[in-house]
Amino acid sequence: MLKTTGLHKSYRMGRSLVSVLRGVSFTVDRGEFVVIRGASGSGKSTLLHLLGMLDIPDRGRIEFDGGDLLAAREAERRAYRNVQIGFVFQFYHLLPECNVLENVLMPQMVRHSFLGWRRVRSTVRGEAESIIERVGLAERITHRCNELSGGERQRVAIARALINRPAILLADEPTGNLDAKIGGGILGLLAGLNQGGQTLIMVTHDSAVADHAHRRVHLVDGVLRKSEETDELATPSRIGRREVPL
Amino acid sequence: MYKWFLAARYLRTKLIAWLGVASVMLCSAMVLVVLSVMGGFLDTVRERARGLHSEIILEGGTLQGFPFYDEFGELLKVELPDMVERTTPAIYSYGIFREPRTTWTKPTRVVGVRLDEYVKVNSFRAGLHYERYFPGTTSLGLQGLSVVGTDPATGRFKLPESLARANARWRAAEKDQEAVAAFDADPFLPAPVDRLVSMEVGERVFAADMGEPRFSGPDLPGVIVGCDLLNERRPDGNFNRYLARGAPVALTLMPLTPMGNPFGEPPIKMVLRYVDDSRTGIFEIDSLQTYVDFDILQDRLAMSPQPAVDGGMTSARTNQLLVGLKKGVDINIARDQISEAWERFTMSKVPTVSRVDATNLRLAKAYTWEDLQRSFIAAVEKEKVLVTFLFGLISMVAIVLVGCIFYMIVEKKTRDIGILKSIGASSQGVAGLFILYATVVGLVGSVLGVLLGSEVVWHINEIQDLLASMSPQLRVWSPEIYSFDKIPNAVKTVDAIGVGVVAIVASMIGSLIPARIAARVWPVAALRYE
Repeated sequence: MLKTTGLHKSYRMGRSLVSVLRGVSFTVDRGEFVVIRGASGSGKSTLLHLLGMLDIPDRGRIEFDGGDLLAAREAERRAYRNVQIGFVFQFYHLLPECNVLENVLMPQMVRHSFLGWRRVRSTVRGEAESIIERVGLAERITHRCNELSGGERQRVAIARALINRPAILLADEPTGNLDAKIGGGILGLLAGLNQGGQTLIMVTHDSAVADHAHRRVHLVDGVLRKSEETDELATPSRIGRREVPL
Repeated sequence: MYKWFLAARYLRTKLIAWLGVASVMLCSAMVLVVLSVMGGFLDTVRERARGLHSEIILEGGTLQGFPFYDEFGELLKVELPDMVERTTPAIYSYGIFREPRTTWTKPTRVVGVRLDEYVKVNSFRAGLHYERYFPGTTSLGLQGLSVVGTDPATGRFKLPESLARANARWRAAEKDQEAVAAFDADPFLPAPVDRLVSMEVGERVFAADMGEPRFSGPDLPGVIVGCDLLNERRPDGNFNRYLARGAPVALTLMPLTPMGNPFGEPPIKMVLRYVDDSRTGIFEIDSLQTYVDFDILQDRLAMSPQPAVDGGMTSARTNQLLVGLKKGVDINIARDQISEAWERFTMSKVPTVSRVDATNLRLAKAYTWEDLQRSFIAAVEKEKVLVTFLFGLISMVAIVLVGCIFYMIVEKKTRDIGILKSIGASSQGVAGLFILYATVVGLVGSVLGVLLGSEVVWHINEIQDLLASMSPQLRVWSPEIYSFDKIPNAVKTVDAIGVGVVAIVASMIGSLIPARIAARVWPVAALRYE
């Protein structure tokens, strides 16, 4: 489903060039839950950004369903970000001027033009309310983000990531900013989504979180060191494609 | 859709955006006020300049004038019947105006007119002061002094019968009841018959005594005097009069021969009755001109037929032939056709007239009223353009201010931009969001600005009165300078729309650089840290 080959990425810091990724190749199958682990600065988030087409590698290849994303036009990459990918960030990254429902609807608003939105508004709104209910925020639907706790904000971020029924959910330290109990709840929510067939790639350095994954990928100094499966029965090849129940 | 949604949401929630709205509002209000006042000033000047003459003026170009004007006037009515409504001659000369009871003198431009014809080709009648309250009583012909008598039964002043009837006609026709009430509160000031000067100053002054109301004294030709020539202008734009209506005044004139040489010695002096004063609204005219009967002035200036040295008679001359056009006639086309008619007329006359008359005929040319007043109107037009340009330049501050405000907004919204890009928004879309946001700011600001500016323009005279009541130095509009009683206070729809559109475009322009910066935000950097 998603395949990277020889990804290289470096950043210029002052006069020096820092190599963050140095030839990362791996594959994620549909329905798989992959955890990318590694120490701070090992390139985990950078790899996630490249997978989500938020950034462009210096070298290498990224394929989604057999198509070369780097060869795609900018509009196609935007559509990929909007439709195929759902991002969940460590710091939630919600729009502070919007309430829960509006934040969740935002990817749909980006997807549709002014006139197009008028046609789909009621349908999409119903879907958004359903997702918000599913993440347990039905009572908070009109609340602004600053009126929510950290865990609630992350649930909003997850709901927003799901609104376009993405093929892949990319989560960058989703529990990193939460205490153990609330983080556990978020992890349970994500794991539940994966149980429903949602492909999930999560960046974390928390080994407890990694235990929930099918497969762990270790990044050390920008290089993939090892990949191990944690649950033989749950490997994606045996799960097959399943729709995410919303 | 997100652009519309977020632009509206940011406008509602971001206080800083309202600073942008306020700057656009103030700048557009300022420009609209300047444009409206200067535009109104220009329109008033044009209107008054138009009312000075007639649509077309056949101008002699010399002080000695040109002959055969009546013949040409009749010819025009025959040759251009669909175009020419009426014609009337006017003489322009220079002299000295003197109020005989004092040593007070002033230079004056003396205009000889056939009053009944003259008021039909321009708006001269509307500017006559006594004629308004006593319609039909202002005449340039021979007349006596109107003396207000006293009713023995009541002891109250009583107007001569003809004036009382005229005043009753005005009352019946006047729509402005405030003017009637003001007249009743202060009908006129009495001036002793032997002095004809009132002890106080006021709107109207009549000779008065304890006798019967009457017309007395020798019959003298009437003279209409420019309101600023004889009277003192008050700060409110009205005038203080002290000389009684009908009081004798003197004009000293310098007649010229057809060759332009002084005619006889010494200069002649005319004694006339001050019958009214005229207000064209143009200070340069109202402080200089006096109006007397055409035939009388023509005779005194020796512009009527005179014995020639060769034994014949010279031709009667005038300085201008005013041509009133029929409604809807294009004045430029009319000017061209009248010019051609004049050329043909001149060519037909030249072989049969004296060399001097032929020269004077050739010097005359047809102009539109705009041609004659072009320098005056052009000066005001340039002033309008200059002032609007200067204030427009100041309003460029709004663009810079909107730019600064949006730069600050983009700086604060960097993370939001990263979020939007992470969920599929394009760089152009993000730029469009901020341009749309600025457009909404410009739209709201320009609508509020046009409303504010219109309110200020509509009430600008009340605002000035309020300021003047606080301190006389704050009175910025001087009727003495501008000749208008009131500051022009009309807002043209086209000006309001124009200012609004420019304000919106200016806001858009102001947001371009911040929008470009927003478009270039690198989402990874924007999302990296909380």
